Amino acid sequence: MELYEYKAYELSDMLKSGEISSVELTQSVFDRIEKTDPTIGAYLTLNRESALFDAEKIDLKRASGDELSPLAGIPIGIKDNISTAGIRTTCASRMLENYTPVFDATVITKLKNAGAIITGKLNMDEFAMGSSTETSYFQPTKNPFDTSCVPGGSSGGSAAAVASMEAVMALGSDTGGSIRQPSSLCGVVGLKPTYGSVSRYGLVAFASSLDQIGPIARSVKDAAMLQDVICGHDSMDATSARRDYAPISGKLNGDVRGLRIGIPKEYFGDGIKPEVKDAVMKSVKALERMGATVKEASLPSTEYALSAYYIIACAEASSNLARFDGVKYGYRCENPENLMDMYERTRSEGFGREVKRRIILGTFVLSSGYYDAYYKKAKLLQKRIRPEFDAAFNDVDVIITPTSPFEAFKFGDKMDDPLAMYSADICTVTVNIAGLPAVSIPCGYSETGLPYGMQIIGRSFDERTILNTAYAHELDFGGFRSPVVSCGEVEL
Amino acid sequence: MVNSTNIDIRHVAKLARIKISDDELPKYSEEMNNIIRMVEAMPEIDDELLVDENGVMDLREDKLIDSKISRDEILKNAPKVVAGCVVVPKTVE
Amino acid sequence: MIKGYEVVVGLEVHAELNTATKIYCSCKNSFGLEVNTQVCPICLGMPGTLPTLNEKVVEYAIKMGHALNCGINRICKQDRKNYFYPDLPKSYQISQADIPLCHDGYLDVIVNNETKRIGIERIHIEEDAGKLLHSDKFDGSLVDFNRCGVPLIEIVSRPDMRSSDEAKAYLETIRSILRYIDISDCKMQEGSIRCDVNVSAHKPGEPLGTRCEMKNVNSFSAVVHGIDYEANRQIEVLEAGGTITQETRRWDDAKGESVSMRSKEDAQDYRYFPEPDLGTIVVSEEKVQYLKDTLPELPNARIMRYIDTCGLSYNDAAMIVDVPEKAELFDKTLEAGCKSGKLLSNWILGEISKLMNDGTDISETNLTPEKLAKIVNYIDSGKISTAAGKKVFDAVMSDDAGIDEFIDKNSLSQISDVSSLEKIASEVVSQNEKSVNDYKNGKTNALGYLVGQCMKASKGKANPAVMKELVLKLLDE
Repeated sequence: MELYEYKAYELSDMLKSGEISSVELTQSVFDRIEKTDPTIGAYLTLNRESALFDAEKIDLKRASGDELSPLAGIPIGIKDNISTAGIRTTCASRMLENYTPVFDATVITKLKNAGAIITGKLNMDEFAMGSSTETSYFQPTKNPFDTSCVPGGSSGGSAAAVASMEAVMALGSDTGGSIRQPSSLCGVVGLKPTYGSVSRYGLVAFASSLDQIGPIARSVKDAAMLQDVICGHDSMDATSARRDYAPISGKLNGDVRGLRIGIPKEYFGDGIKPEVKDAVMKSVKALERMGATVKEASLPSTEYALSAYYIIACAEASSNLARFDGVKYGYRCENPENLMDMYERTRSEGFGREVKRRIILGTFVLSSGYYDAYYKKAKLLQKRIRPEFDAAFNDVDVIITPTSPFEAFKFGDKMDDPLAMYSADICTVTVNIAGLPAVSIPCGYSETGLPYGMQIIGRSFDERTILNTAYAHELDFGGFRSPVVSCGEVEL
Repeated sequence: MVNSTNIDIRHVAKLARIKISDDELPKYSEEMNNIIRMVEAMPEIDDELLVDENGVMDLREDKLIDSKISRDEILKNAPKVVAGCVVVPKTVE
Repeated sequence: MIKGYEVVVGLEVHAELNTATKIYCSCKNSFGLEVNTQVCPICLGMPGTLPTLNEKVVEYAIKMGHALNCGINRICKQDRKNYFYPDLPKSYQISQADIPLCHDGYLDVIVNNETKRIGIERIHIEEDAGKLLHSDKFDGSLVDFNRCGVPLIEIVSRPDMRSSDEAKAYLETIRSILRYIDISDCKMQEGSIRCDVNVSAHKPGEPLGTRCEMKNVNSFSAVVHGIDYEANRQIEVLEAGGTITQETRRWDDAKGESVSMRSKEDAQDYRYFPEPDLGTIVVSEEKVQYLKDTLPELPNARIMRYIDTCGLSYNDAAMIVDVPEKAELFDKTLEAGCKSGKLLSNWILGEISKLMNDGTDISETNLTPEKLAKIVNYIDSGKISTAAGKKVFDAVMSDDAGIDEFIDKNSLSQISDVSSLEKIASEVVSQNEKSVNDYKNGKTNALGYLVGQCMKASKGKANPAVMKELVLKLLDE
C-alpha cells in the first residue's frame, strides 16, 4: 500500500510514531499527482517545493520532541478560492489568472499553525458558481470513478483530488452544496459546517451570508480532524460565532442507539432518481438496525428554497464580484478607451458566461422597482425556513436526505440548461439558507460504479452528532472505496 | 407578471458593467424568463424584514495595527502603477 | 425672500471622524501621508477580506445624535450602496440605508440674534472613498486609496433653512459641536467636512418647488455662494415661465456657478441591500445613556451662559465659544478667580486671539489661567493700567515673570489711594486757574488737560479714573 492511500488519522499515528516522515508522505502524494493529475485535472497550481520544505521542517520539529497537532505533516489541498499568501489564487477565473494574494485566509493560518502541508490549489467552478466544475476558465476536472463524467462542483477539484488520492484531505467551500454535492459524486466525505463556525476571512466571497469553508476527506474521522483545526471564532470575521468549539475528533464512537432520524418527504420527490432514494433508505434502515429510530419530518418550504437561494446568492454575488473592475488587481482589458470601456470590457472578458449570468440576475433582483418582489421576498422566505428546521429538530436529532438527485453526469450534459444544473442543488441549498451543518457520505454505487451520496443534516453547531451518525454508517457500509483511475492505457 | 421582455436586460447589464452582444441577448432573455418564472412561483409572504437580532456582532476596538505589507507588495497585483498610485483611464469630473 | 420667492434649503453634511483607526480595518486614520501607505488588504477590498466595525465610530455617531437631540436606533444594521468608481475599491460603499443610527432630532441656531430650529432627519455612519489625482502631464488618473475606509458620519437636515445665512449659521453650529464633542477635526481644507446642498424655491403659500441637489460644495463660503447662485438660477427660470427639473448639479467654486451632472431619469440605481458581511449593531441602553450623560456642555448652552452670567454680548460670547481652546481658557480663568468676565473676554479676543492666530498654543506658554486671572483682576481693580497690564502680560509670556515682582520692579502699580491723589489734584487745580475758568465757562476739554497735568504730576502712576473723579469733585465745588 502506498503512503498516499492512507487516511489522515492513520498517517497521523504513523508520523507520530516515527514510522514514516512527512517528507516521504508528501513526496508520495506528489508522485501520485504526477501520475494521475494529467488525467484528473484537479490542481490549478502545485506548491511542491514549499510543501517539501515545510514537510522537512515538520519532521525536524517532531525529531526535536515538539508536541505537534494531529494534522502536522499531512498534505492537504486547498480550493482555489481560499486566499494563500504567495500562492496564486484564481477562483478558476481569467479575472484572477495572475493574482497572488499578499495574505493568508484564517483557515490557512490555522492549517499552517497546525503544521499541515499545502499541496496546491484545486480547480473549481469559476467563483464557485456551478455544480460540475465545468465553468472553470482553465480546465475540466474529471470524476476519478469515470473520467467521462464531471466530479460535481463547485469544489470539484477538491473532491476529485481526495478521491483520486492526490491529497490526503482538502478544503472546499459550500454556498449551496459546493462541498457536499461533489463529495457525493466522487464518493468521499464532505462537511459543510454551521454558518459562522469556520472563519470566512480570506475566502473569496460568492454569497457572504451562505458561504462556508469545510473539509473533504476519505473518512469521517479525517473530516472531523480537519474540522477541529479550522473551526473557531475569528475576530476578523464579524459573522463568526463566539462560542466553545469542543473537539469532535476522538469523540466519535458510532453509537446511534436512541438517535432520532427524520426523513423529510420533500426530499424524496419525483426529481430524485429512484436508485438514489433506495440507496439512502437502505442506509437509514441500517442505522435503524443499529438502534436509531426513524420518523417522518416535514419541511414544507423546501420547494421554494431553491428560488430563495438563487435570488439571495446572486444578489450578494453581484455586489461581491463588483470589486473585479480592472483597477487594483486581476485582469484589465487591453487599451481601454475610457473608464466605462475599461469596466465593461474587463468584466465581460474576465468573467465567464455563468458568472455573468448570475451577476446580471443578482443586479436585476436588487434594482430599483424589483427589490421588494425579489430580494426582500427571498429573505422573508429564508426567515420562514429556519423555524421549520427548528420545529423539525424538536422531534429528531438528525435529518437524512439524498445529497444529489443523481450520480455524476457526463460532461456537457447540463451545461446548456441553467435550470437543470440548478436542480442539482435542490437537496443541498436549504441547509445553507438555514445556516445548518450537514455532511455528505457515500451510501451506494450505481451499476456503472458511480457513487451515491447521503446527506445528514444537524442542529446548529451540532457537527458532532451528524459526524457520529456518519461514522456509524461508515462502519456499517464500509469506508472509502478507491476508484481505478484510467490514465490512458494504465489504470492507477 | 414580470417577464424579461419588459425587463431592460441591457440596462441591468450596464448597471453591472457587463457588455451583452446582440447575439447573446435572446439567450440571456430566455434564461432570465426561466429564472423569473421559478422565482414567481414563490408564495406571497405578509411580513417585514427587520433587523436580525440573532446576528449581533462584536465591535472592533479602535486600536492601530500597522500593516506589515509594503506599498509595493500591496500594489503588486495592480494592472498599472505610477508613482505609488494605481492608474486608471482619465475620470471626467 | 428673493423676488417674492421663498428659498428652501436642506443640507447633507459629511464629517470625517477623528478615530485612531479606520471604520472597517485597523489602518491608521490620518490625513496627508504618502500616497497608498495607509492601506491594507481590507480597505483595498482585496478578494476574501471582510470588514469589522470600529466601536468608536458607533459611539461618536451616537454622541452627535445626542448633541442634535436625536432618537437613537440602538439596534440597527449597515447596508451596501453599489456603484462603480475607481476610488471605491469594493465597488460598494458600506453605509446605512433604512435604519440610521440616529434619527429625528433638531438643532437651534442663532441667525441675526434670533433662534431658529432646524430639523435633523438622520445621522448615519459610512466609509469614505479614496482620492483621484489628475495631472495635465499624464494621460490617466491616479488613485490614492489612503482615505478609503476613513469613518464618516452623514448628518441630513430637514429642508428647514430659508436662506444662505441660515445655512451658514447651521453649518457653523454643526462644526462647533463636532469640535466640542471632539469627534472630528473639522478641517474644511483637508476635506474633513463636506457638504451636499438641496435647494428649491417657491412662492409662499404654494407647494414646495422641485429641488436640485448640489455636490462638491466644499467651503462655508461656497455654501453661501452656491445657495445664492442656485436660488437665483431657479427663480430666473420660474420667472421666465419655465419649470425646474429635478437633477444633481455640481458646484464650481472657481467659476462661481453650478452645472448639471445628471437628471433624475439617469439617477444612479445604488441597489442598497443589507451588508451580509456584518452583523447587527446592538448598543446597550446603558451605553446610550452614558454617552448622553458624559456629553460636554454644547456651544449654544455655553454662549447663553456667558451672556447670562458674565454679561458678554452675543457676538463676543459666540467668538469665544467658536474656538474650544478660547472657551476653555475663559472658563478656567474664571475658575481661577477672575472677577470680570467682560474684561477677560476683551483679553481673550484681543491679545490672546492674536497669538493663537499666529499659531501659538496657549496651553504650552507660560500663561496659566491663574496668572491671566491675576492680571485681569489687577486691571479691573485699578491696581495697574491696561497699558501696564499689557507689559505684565508680555513679560509673563516671554520670561515667565512673577506678576507682583514685575509690577514692583517696574513701578507699574497705579496710585488709587484717594488721600495722596487728592493732594495732587488740589495742587494742580490751584496752579491752573485759567483752565479752571475755561472749564467753568463750558470748555469741557479743559478737564482733560487738568487730569493730564495730574497724571504727569503722579509720574503716570495715578489711576486715571480715580484722578478724573477727584478733579471733577474739586471743579464742582
